[in-house]
Amino acid sequence: MKRFAYAVVGIGVLAFAGVLIQRALSDSLVYFILPSEYASEPHRYDERRIRLGGIVEPGTIAFDGDELVLAFDVTDSIETFAVRHRGTPPDLFQESTGVVIEGRFENGVFHSDNLLVKHSEVYEAPEDGTIDLEELKDALQ
Amino acid sequence: MPLSLGELGGAALLLALAFSAWGLVGGAIGAIRRDPRLLTSARMAAFATFLAMTAAIAIMEVALLTDDFSVSYVADTSRVGSPLWVKVVTLWAALEGSLLLWGWLLSGYWALLASVAPNTPLRPWALTTMAGVQLFFVLVPALIAPPFLIVEPVPLDGPGPNPLLQNHWMMAVHPVLMYLGFVGLTVPFSYAMAALITKRPGSEWMASTRRWTLLGWGFLTAANVTGGWWSYEVLGWGGYWAWDPVENVAIMPWLTATAFVHSVQVQERRRMLKAWNLLLIVLTFSLTLLGTFLIRSGVVSSVHAFGDGPVGPYFLAFFVLVMFLSLSLLALRWDQVRDRADLDHPVSREGAFLGTNLLFLALTFAVLLGTLFPLIVEAVSGARVTVGAPFFDQATLPLWMGVLALMGIGPLLPWRRAPDQTLFRNLAWMTGAAVATAAVAAAVGMRGVYPLLTVALAAWNLASLALLLTGALAARLRARRQSVVQAVRRYAHENKRRFGSMIVHFGVVMMAVAIMASSAYRVDEQIRIDLGGSTEWYGYTLTAADRFMDATEARVRAGAVIDVHRDGRRVTTLTPTINVFAGQSMSVPTPDVLYRPLYDIYLNVAANIGPDQEFVVLRAVRSPLVTWIWVAGVVMAIGTVYALTPSAGAARETRTSKTEERAQA
Repeated sequence: MKRFAYAVVGIGVLAFAGVLIQRALSDSLVYFILPSEYASEPHRYDERRIRLGGIVEPGTIAFDGDELVLAFDVTDSIETFAVRHRGTPPDLFQESTGVVIEGRFENGVFHSDNLLVKHSEVYEAPEDGTIDLEELKDALQ
Repeated sequence: MPLSLGELGGAALLLALAFSAWGLVGGAIGAIRRDPRLLTSARMAAFATFLAMTAAIAIMEVALLTDDFSVSYVADTSRVGSPLWVKVVTLWAALEGSLLLWGWLLSGYWALLASVAPNTPLRPWALTTMAGVQLFFVLVPALIAPPFLIVEPVPLDGPGPNPLLQNHWMMAVHPVLMYLGFVGLTVPFSYAMAALITKRPGSEWMASTRRWTLLGWGFLTAANVTGGWWSYEVLGWGGYWAWDPVENVAIMPWLTATAFVHSVQVQERRRMLKAWNLLLIVLTFSLTLLGTFLIRSGVVSSVHAFGDGPVGPYFLAFFVLVMFLSLSLLALRWDQVRDRADLDHPVSREGAFLGTNLLFLALTFAVLLGTLFPLIVEAVSGARVTVGAPFFDQATLPLWMGVLALMGIGPLLPWRRAPDQTLFRNLAWMTGAAVATAAVAAAVGMRGVYPLLTVALAAWNLASLALLLTGALAARLRARRQSVVQAVRRYAHENKRRFGSMIVHFGVVMMAVAIMASSAYRVDEQIRIDLGGSTEWYGYTLTAADRFMDATEARVRAGAVIDVHRDGRRVTTLTPTINVFAGQSMSVPTPDVLYRPLYDIYLNVAANIGPDQEFVVLRAVRSPLVTWIWVAGVVMAIGTVYALTPSAGAARETRTSKTEERAQA
């Protein structure tokens, strides 16, 4: 009888932990996607924090030194989105480098608070213009 | 032609391989046949392996210090221009060298165990298990990730170690502590295996490894705290714990080891939880292997720049082998390890220990799940996800609170007995302290469930510690006419283990409050200051006095000179800097910190500093009480050392046993 009671208590504790873990997981999964993946189902990602990977579109970088806001466009050659990053351009941030930004989409503009430059694995688009999205994703991951 | 260092090092490793293989094979045959000559010979293999591994380490250090780039590890990770201390610690700055260090420390423990372990029926199999583990940790540097390959043609210089690692002296300490912890817990694991093999699953195996367990646990604790401090001082985001996979795999064995340190006491006192204890130590040891696999194979991505190597699959295979062997052994001996006794009452010391154990296991599971979840999701749906810090906070905070609550009650409860009058009196005091503290905290403006709960539980624990101490002292003070100080000293001296645990628990309370304050009340902002201008920031005036750029042979650096004033008086000058080390492309920050007991002011350069730029951008972090985390780490270490020093009674015992030995001789 006693043993049974302890088993019940033990299972209760584990179930409680399980519920905590499950709830925490569903709240804090951060998806890593490319601009085209966002474009294909924007409603799925609109309310969530996501990590967006892509290439910095040349000629779009603008840094506001007073407000400390960095603006640029991120692209995977299929879709392009405007980015507003709260912060300064990190080391090695330049045109055509791979970046991963973390934040949310608001009205089609990505508001980021974390910017990582993937300088060592710059993805080079092939000459004929076909781009392998999976390969790009691997390079940025 | 004289032998090269690479050949000598390779030869030393091959010798170590042969010796540890003999330790395993000779030890096993000797133990089965009960052949004392074979056993002695296998025991000698421990010393021989240690000598060979020491030679390998010494050769590597010579190669590093003399810039011998014909040795592959030196060519890959060292640099002529590095300072002396960097060259010395480059030994553990990359994969091959750090595994060599792990193997060397293990051989040291094995040899120490072979020389000091009393000649019990458990010793042969314990040493044989050590030999088996050692064999793996020699195989890795000898064959799988060899550091002693010969490079032809010999390069003139190398790239130098990972810049994150040469940026702070803490890197000289933290990995060594971590390995000492991992290796230290191999000893109780070996004795556990010996207990299962020899069908002696009583408390003998844990009694003989009590010190080793505590030592390993102490090193792991120190390693995790120094790792946090290193992050704080080097990574530049002003935090110390990010729930990064590298941190997670270091905390998991600590969690199970903490559970183990507590549950062994239940078995010693009550002869219960035999299987549970065996399972916990197997889990602890296996988690060190699984963790090494996870972070060294690149299957989970980490912000820490850990090199991927070829060792991942081998660690996975060894992990599976260890799990398989030890769990089948456990299943085979199930009849002997099953508990006959039952809990007399859940409200008892052992009940509290069991509860804490469940919480620690749930914590381990949550951390493991969070670490592995991205792999599971990718395997199932193909989506790439990361599990952010919010998951770990949400999942673990309630469990940590439970641990704190039980930590207060457990030591006050008597073994086996149901609650009595004193317990209710104690609980009333503790609850009173907790409620009063939470009320005061709320009155001064603290909000949020967890911050209030944490201070309440801190008061609860402090009340518990005070009650424990007064309870122990009251009797003494009545019985003898002593001053309070004398009584405390006497009590502490006579009950080293108990008093040491009180010190450690006090450190835990400090750390809980410090972690709560520094994470719940952290301020993290980017501020821009024009050169010559200043800005007000939380009571301090930060003035950008200057910027600087200089280059030495080893590195190029640029930084800001920030004068810090408070109430018109100059407090200090902080110089947050960015470095680029020679031979490396990645730049690493050196934040500058004004350490203060109430809160630190932490400045890091947030944007490039150019010669034509008339402003600096800083990341400024203000984290309350963060310094007390490091102090708490020191307190926990002191408590562990105190518990480890032989108590007056134990010293007398050893002395008598030595005299007896002498008398017999």
